[in-house]
Amino acid sequence: MASSHDADATGITRRKSLAAIASAGALGLAGCTQSGDGGDGGDELSGPINIAGSSTVFPLMSAIMEDFAEQHPGVDPDISSTGSGGGFSNFFCTGDTDFNNASRPIQPEEEELCADNGVEYVELIAATDALTVVVNPDADWIDSLTTEELAQIWKSDPVQTWDEVRDEFPNEEIERFGAADTSGTYDYFIEAILGEEGHTGDYQATEQDNTIAQGVSGSEYAIGYFGFAYYFQNPDQLKALGIDDGDGPVEPSLETASSGEYTPLSRPLFTYPSIESLGEEHIAEFARYFVEQTTNEDLVAGDVGYVPATEETQEEQLQTLEDAIEQAQG
Amino acid sequence: MATDNANADGFGEVSRVRGIVFEYLSFGASVFGLVALGVLLVYVAIDAFDLANASPEWLLTYFLTLVVPFLAFCLYSANDRGVTRRALGALGGGLVAVAALFTAVETLVSPIPRLNWQLAYLFVVGAPATAYLAYVGSGGRVGAVGFGLLGRLVGGVAIGLAVGTLFLVFDPLLWFLAYTLGVLPAVGLYAVGRRRSTPRAQTAAAPVGLAGLIAAVVLRDVVSTYPSDLIIYLWTVAVPVAAAGGLLVAGRRGRTAAAVVAGLPLAVATAGGFLAAGAGLPAPTVLLVLVLTGVPTAAYVSRVVDAGEGLAGLGLPLLLGAGVIAGALIVEAWGVPAPDPWLDGSFLTGAPSRTPTDAGLYPAIVGSVIIIALVAVLSFALGVGTSVFLEEYTPESGPLGTLTRILQVNIANLAAVPSVVYGLLGLGLFANLLGLGIGTAVTAALTLSLLILPITIISAQEAIRSVPDDLRRGSDAMGATRWQTTKNVVLPEAMPGVLTGTILALGRAIGETAPLIMIGAATTVFRAPDSLFSRFSAMPMQIYTWAGFPQADFRYGVVAAGVITLLIILVGMNGTAILLRNRAERGS
Repeated sequence: MASSHDADATGITRRKSLAAIASAGALGLAGCTQSGDGGDGGDELSGPINIAGSSTVFPLMSAIMEDFAEQHPGVDPDISSTGSGGGFSNFFCTGDTDFNNASRPIQPEEEELCADNGVEYVELIAATDALTVVVNPDADWIDSLTTEELAQIWKSDPVQTWDEVRDEFPNEEIERFGAADTSGTYDYFIEAILGEEGHTGDYQATEQDNTIAQGVSGSEYAIGYFGFAYYFQNPDQLKALGIDDGDGPVEPSLETASSGEYTPLSRPLFTYPSIESLGEEHIAEFARYFVEQTTNEDLVAGDVGYVPATEETQEEQLQTLEDAIEQAQG
Repeated sequence: MATDNANADGFGEVSRVRGIVFEYLSFGASVFGLVALGVLLVYVAIDAFDLANASPEWLLTYFLTLVVPFLAFCLYSANDRGVTRRALGALGGGLVAVAALFTAVETLVSPIPRLNWQLAYLFVVGAPATAYLAYVGSGGRVGAVGFGLLGRLVGGVAIGLAVGTLFLVFDPLLWFLAYTLGVLPAVGLYAVGRRRSTPRAQTAAAPVGLAGLIAAVVLRDVVSTYPSDLIIYLWTVAVPVAAAGGLLVAGRRGRTAAAVVAGLPLAVATAGGFLAAGAGLPAPTVLLVLVLTGVPTAAYVSRVVDAGEGLAGLGLPLLLGAGVIAGALIVEAWGVPAPDPWLDGSFLTGAPSRTPTDAGLYPAIVGSVIIIALVAVLSFALGVGTSVFLEEYTPESGPLGTLTRILQVNIANLAAVPSVVYGLLGLGLFANLLGLGIGTAVTAALTLSLLILPITIISAQEAIRSVPDDLRRGSDAMGATRWQTTKNVVLPEAMPGVLTGTILALGRAIGETAPLIMIGAATTVFRAPDSLFSRFSAMPMQIYTWAGFPQADFRYGVVAAGVITLLIILVGMNGTAILLRNRAERGS
């Protein structure tokens, strides 16, 4: 019973509503489209950062990467713990990674390999580590060793029992746990303690600090060495020995390492950015951020357990880095 | 024989001692591994869920709100007085026995670390009793319906998450074009061809699809405006899944039911997707999970309602959901101290971190899922191809037969090559020579496929060999070509066996670390990989790294959470494969 007027009105309404729906739909669709080129607009940093190298530097580097990744959502960093030498020879000097971490300076063979492949790099100091010699906490007969005694235990033709090291020590066999030969810790230990004598092969070799700790806590007559971080986080599980370099025994700690008293086992840790990679803005920015963070006490000392760099070292490193970036980008 | 009868005349007595000793020795052998593994898993679970700090009140609350209703449901479904009596006896008697035994051991021998008798009861009596009752309960109609529904819900969520993860690395825009131009026309042509029985349309489907795929690749960079991701997923995944569900139901019940089964979940999923987009959640994944859970669930409910049997079983998910909520409310209201599990939402969705409580596994989970998906496809294709060729196409005698036998022996030996060697092969061949990149997902997937290839080949060969020759001869006698025999007789018959072998091999691949280290897979990545050529980390790599961290929280809690996640994903993957296999078995 609808009148013609009514019919007209509904017709218009229907047409109007159709138009409204259509325009709303068009608007909706417009909001539901994207462009085909990925849409990484703006000057936001983006790109991958590939890092490999020392397992000692790994916790420090990955902590800094974590913060950097949080601040720059476009950057995609990854890190592999390969050991200093493994990282140089397998990945860095073949041009596959942007940074290589090392717990000792780059060695001549590695320099040669990098040069052969045309990989240029710059050396940055990341932090200072105190290489820590540990024994079982039940071993109350020992508190410190001199560097000579340490060398006797670890040299390539080592003494077999503790009483050969020092007369008052028990007549028990020495069990050794140490770093594997791909590790920079191993190289540094040879350089600082053993020198020409070389490292014994008669020990349990591993890249995992945890394995060394497990081994040493398993026997009262075991001895092991690794970076400071593990001992710093688990001071009750193991007993760190004082090292006597002629001026009386010094125990490893953040203070003795940064003041230079803990010799000869406090060592600088390095990272080597490749100059070609520094040409990319996000990698250069990460390298700057890294150097800035090396003085961050909460992060370097608190979270990881290494000695932060001093302000002067940081200044120098920053200068070296800026020169390298200039060389790469200029 | 001679010794048995040495000092007996004629039919003397034969000692049974040896037989009994042997029986118990073999029993011990079979139990030894299981018990060792069981103890390990119990401790890993305790660490991952922080159960050592769970108060007895907390355990009791959830036992009453969650476990007891579930057990009651199973007993109701089983509807067997004997089972009920035995179950109650075991649960009650077990309580006393475990408490007494545990206290005795603790006082007389030594304290048992990180366990109390309540936990021991749950693991030693509670878990096996629940498993047994679930098995018995699933025999009843109500239980079967309940577990069927639960399975579809859980399975749908799992598959939705897995598909969502895979889309992270594949370009959704390319997929959109490929689907619209290639897949859709091809499937449409094929369907029309079958319906009207015009073989020409069916044969045209493959070339049309291929042309569409090529067009998609060409047009990918030409076209500049695309629909948003959510619309792409809606169009390419949600609508087809809903349509497939609808078609299945339409065959049985008519159009209205089909429209409901397809439309309702689709509408819910679309709404959920847009809401999630508004709330800043990953909208495509929400959409996929909702639609892949909703459609099978709706189809199943419609079937159960049709059958009209075991309707009470449909309440099982509600029962469990209500149990969880009630437990949470009680814990909240009475302030029962709850444990703080390592394995929680932030662990599954977060990136690795230097602080144990913030550490997450998400990038590594995505990496592992992607690699395993690729490995599954690659090793299945290569494995089945090789084994079919070796079994069906190579001659058994003559010089070629000898060559085949030499090949066989070599494949068997390859299965024993250490995984590190495969890692070196992957580094040399795929990463360096073929230039697929160091530590990329493609390199890893190819390396792991090679690693498990011998196992897949050998098991697929066994399966093909066990197809009776009579079937082949019968097919030949009907005038079938060798290709038709292989396709229609041998492969369908052998498929369950082939799948079993592939499942076992994939289980090995997902846990491998050594080859990944060799090909330079990253130890830690902070973002999920976004292409097949980006560097990635896998779950075992990340777990291994955490195990070496100095902080004890990493070495126990976080590692345990990682292990449980890895196991859950492995079980989910195997479960899917086993379902597929059972379906294949039923089909053939």
